[in-house]
Amino acid sequence: MAGRHRHAVRAGLALALALVQPATAGAEGRHVTVTGEAIDTWCYFSGVMGGPDAVVGSAHHTCALWCAAGGIPVGLLADDGTVYMVLKLPGADDAAGGRGFLAVASHRLTASGMLHERDGIRYIIISEVIEDHGITRRNHEDFGVVPPFAIPEAGGE
Amino acid sequence: MMRAVLLAALLALPAAAQDFSAGSEAAEWGLQGERKARFAARVVDILCQLAGDCPPDCGAGTRQLGLLRSADGVLVLPLKNAQPLFSGAVADLAPFCGQMVEVDGLLVGDPAMTPAPVYQVQRIRPAKGAWAPANRFTADWAARNPEAAALPGPWFRKDPRILAEIARGGYLGLGPEADRAFIAAERGR
Repeated sequence: MAGRHRHAVRAGLALALALVQPATAGAEGRHVTVTGEAIDTWCYFSGVMGGPDAVVGSAHHTCALWCAAGGIPVGLLADDGTVYMVLKLPGADDAAGGRGFLAVASHRLTASGMLHERDGIRYIIISEVIEDHGITRRNHEDFGVVPPFAIPEAGGE
Repeated sequence: MMRAVLLAALLALPAAAQDFSAGSEAAEWGLQGERKARFAARVVDILCQLAGDCPPDCGAGTRQLGLLRSADGVLVLPLKNAQPLFSGAVADLAPFCGQMVEVDGLLVGDPAMTPAPVYQVQRIRPAKGAWAPANRFTADWAARNPEAAALPGPWFRKDPRILAEIARGGYLGLGPEADRAFIAAERGR
């Protein structure tokens, strides 16, 4: 009985360690190339301004500028729906509101760098923007602008 | 001993499986998958945590910061502060780089499309300190942009970086002609 108890304790500890391990692993990272849109991650994940299709592209470009300037993390939304949180971008010294991040807001980028995964979130340290495709999602034709007050001249304010 | 094992296993449960709402006074925002969460954490530079790239003072406000939660070691990603003004949380967290704090706010995200919940910090307090609202962004911005801050209107209507981008690519990012066509169509409705 004591042996079985010790076995259960060992198994329990092993399970606990195995479950904890992903939280502390990942320091190595791996090199990846990703193509996706530079998005405003707060509006995308929180749904504060509507569904995910409305808070990307030209419809949401001005708000993406506001959020990038506000220091909200920029993500790369890949075609398969994966979001890579961008921790570094070449030419952008400031990853919390820097001009370099504003310059690519809503743009489709092909970029390479180191991928790290931690607690379910993917982070990318971009070392090279291989191609900037510009804004390819012209969804203002479907959604107008989001939020509606983004363009004062259009009667939004 | 069995109790210790069970506790260890509980601590190892994924973030989404745990409830951190006890004692929270966070305001509800009606966001996707929102749930109140108050917890103790260490403020960390995410690049330092993941890649060992560790400048002094977490990069002095130029890097994304994380909350390394004490209860389970999960690195929580704060996207937002408490201000409804398109503002992140770095200005609120940066003064606490490397320090233990307690935060209160909302874990956010629809599990179907969000791999792990992200966080909105609404208030923060250092160890043995008093709670303060997480609303430093606008004061921090005004200190860095005194001329723009003196003008009327909210910060995002007068930020020089934003204005430069809009001047270059327009509100839609597609150039001035696309803006003109869109604005004309909207006025004609």
